[in-house]
Amino acid sequence: MAQVETFYYDNAIVRKFAYATMLWSVVAMLVGLIAAFQLIMPELNFGIPYTTFGRIRPLHTNAAIFAFVGNGIYMGVYYSLQRLLKTRMFSNALSNIHFWGWQAIIVMAAVTLPLGITSAKEYAELEWPIDIAIAFVWVVFGINMFGTIIKRRENHLYVAIWFYIATWITITVLHICNNIEIPVSATKSYNIFAGVQDALVQWWYGHNAVAFFLTTPYLGLMYYFLPKAANRPVYSYRLSIIHFWALIFIYIWAGPHHLLYTSLPDWAQSLGTVFSIMLIAPSWGGMLNGLLTLRGAWDRVRQDPVLKFMVVAITAYGMATFEGPMLSIKSVNAISHFTDWTIGHVHIGTLGWNGFLTFGILYWLIPRLFDTKLYSLKLANAHFWIGTLGIAFYAIPLYWAGWVQSLMWKEFTPDGFLKYGNFLETVTQILPMYYIRALGGTLYFAGTLVMIYNLIATIRQGSFIGDEAAEAPARLATDGVHKGEHWHRWIERRPIQLLIASAIAILIGGILEIFPMVMIESNVPKIASVKPYTPLELHGRDLYIREGCMGCHSQMVRPFRSETERYGEYSKSGEYIYDRPFLWGSKRTGPDLHREGGKYPDSWHYNHMVDPQSMSPGSIMPPYPWMLRDEMNLSTLPRKIEVLRMLGTPYPKGFEDEAVADLKKQAAGVAERLRKDGVEDDKLEKREIVALIAYLQRLGTDIKPKPQMN
Amino acid sequence: MYKYILEGVGNINWMAISALITFVTIFLVGAVMAFRSTPLFLNKMSNLPLEDSILKTSETAISHEEK
Repeated sequence: MAQVETFYYDNAIVRKFAYATMLWSVVAMLVGLIAAFQLIMPELNFGIPYTTFGRIRPLHTNAAIFAFVGNGIYMGVYYSLQRLLKTRMFSNALSNIHFWGWQAIIVMAAVTLPLGITSAKEYAELEWPIDIAIAFVWVVFGINMFGTIIKRRENHLYVAIWFYIATWITITVLHICNNIEIPVSATKSYNIFAGVQDALVQWWYGHNAVAFFLTTPYLGLMYYFLPKAANRPVYSYRLSIIHFWALIFIYIWAGPHHLLYTSLPDWAQSLGTVFSIMLIAPSWGGMLNGLLTLRGAWDRVRQDPVLKFMVVAITAYGMATFEGPMLSIKSVNAISHFTDWTIGHVHIGTLGWNGFLTFGILYWLIPRLFDTKLYSLKLANAHFWIGTLGIAFYAIPLYWAGWVQSLMWKEFTPDGFLKYGNFLETVTQILPMYYIRALGGTLYFAGTLVMIYNLIATIRQGSFIGDEAAEAPARLATDGVHKGEHWHRWIERRPIQLLIASAIAILIGGILEIFPMVMIESNVPKIASVKPYTPLELHGRDLYIREGCMGCHSQMVRPFRSETERYGEYSKSGEYIYDRPFLWGSKRTGPDLHREGGKYPDSWHYNHMVDPQSMSPGSIMPPYPWMLRDEMNLSTLPRKIEVLRMLGTPYPKGFEDEAVADLKKQAAGVAERLRKDGVEDDKLEKREIVALIAYLQRLGTDIKPKPQMN
Repeated sequence: MYKYILEGVGNINWMAISALITFVTIFLVGAVMAFRSTPLFLNKMSNLPLEDSILKTSETAISHEEK
């Protein structure tokens, strides 16, 4: 029998991450609330760049995912890992570098995104210096986690730790692959992948950011904190083993369901659909395992707010993981994609699954860290009901809005014309739903504030246990001890083998999907008439990215009659070969822009950016007055040309030296046309708006004759 | 018959077939892992979260074990 050792769990790092979770929950939701209100009151964009929807939206998504949920993950992992392994964290210093490093990254994101410094890739918007910082802090977390696992006193690794290990390795792979980019300056880079390939890699990442940042670590937390809160073991440990392996293997394949009916080759779309539908099995296995853990304890759910939050969280996980596979069926996706349905779907996951599980954990954890009782059960119950109503008022109107708008997009008159030919009609129709959504968001936010008050009061009445004493026998050397045991025990006891097995499971999907797409040229048929962007168009494209236009406008006409009638010829993969990054978007709050070139005169775009409502009465698009005021900054243009040529764009050698002159020549042409239409500005050819107009007028014109304008 | 199978081989979606085979393999491995485990082992594992070895009497901060 091994000697019993006394040791101390580090609660200080758990407290730090708990405080950060509470702080960033308020920030993330507040920014989301502002964005929700901007969609019904465009004047809340305030006419300044830093508070405009296009820049605010990525700030909200990044804050919700990486600041609120990210800190929630670390809070739960640092608490549960020590206790499941019966040891203190490997290194106090690494714990603190992890904490402060992650908060620094969040602050850098909060500064750079409103400044328009973005790589335009959803949930991976941060530019390359911050990407490197993320990689560094993530590795620190990994060393600390594996160091803790190695010095453990418990031989076997509980299933929650499997989920933590799979999370770590998969996020490492995803983060690296989706952020391979060549720097242009400290605040700008171009991705090595272009067009369709970039889209596949991005959504392989984007979907798996949901899978391996918002789901697998939270499943680990569920497998630890639900049994703790219910004071009973998980319903079926067998089921949790199958849940783990099936989930991590299938999840990694599902990314292409974000690209159904796009220019992505059909085989890749089919793989995405098939694996997404299969996902329902392990996901519901996990959900049922969670809910059945409460068998015989449902009477306690009525009284205990912690269990209430957890039950709704797991139910929301079940709803979201039922809805996800349904949305991946091509005929359903044809209706749901680009609409608010997707926004409703992700918020069931974030508000319900991540939010409520985090709240449940906080209500359970804070009193224990501070050796006291929760300040007010009544307030916690009030939070539960306000929050639940908030989720319902948020999601249901958006499901409704998504259906209504999509059906309006697709409706034809008996004569064969689009019934709602003006896109704006389909937006104004669903504005009442946006009002109700904003109400839902307000309720959810109010509930969170109630929680913060309750937790602060709990903290103030308690006394913090920084180092919690514990006792456990030292771990015996295991070599030879388990001779004759089944081989899987060998994996379960060894973190490195588990890491390698998890990596193989997730890499199979990634390699089989992405390698053929990147390596086989026939997947992207070339179109002879597609030429690289001119320097002015390129500059305009980067301004389009800076302003986050892709948050509301897609650039992907799907091969439906309702879309080709509205926008023009459907989009071909060969049209995007010079698009770094791809800008297909995922939501149409405004119309698709892939065939925008030549639809309107330059002056229409100019006036539209001054005041969108003057050109499109009832529009909810914000104005962009600074683009008419600010002069183009061309200092990095030659370097941009150099980098793009290095990546394969066929700019002639030495073109970087002529790029600025070429840009000025084209800008003078645009300015001349604007002046003819009555625009008065002495420095018109230097303004940013000229570049943006040049880009918009280029869109989609490679495969259609150039219009003769003015 | 083999001739006809070989003639049609180009039309088979090998990507989908290999994906299905690897999934079935991984699923079976998971299932075997789960069902070959003894009830004693499963019981021990599922109770791990409930045994955190905390000494209820020592709630005051004492020096870290690293110190």
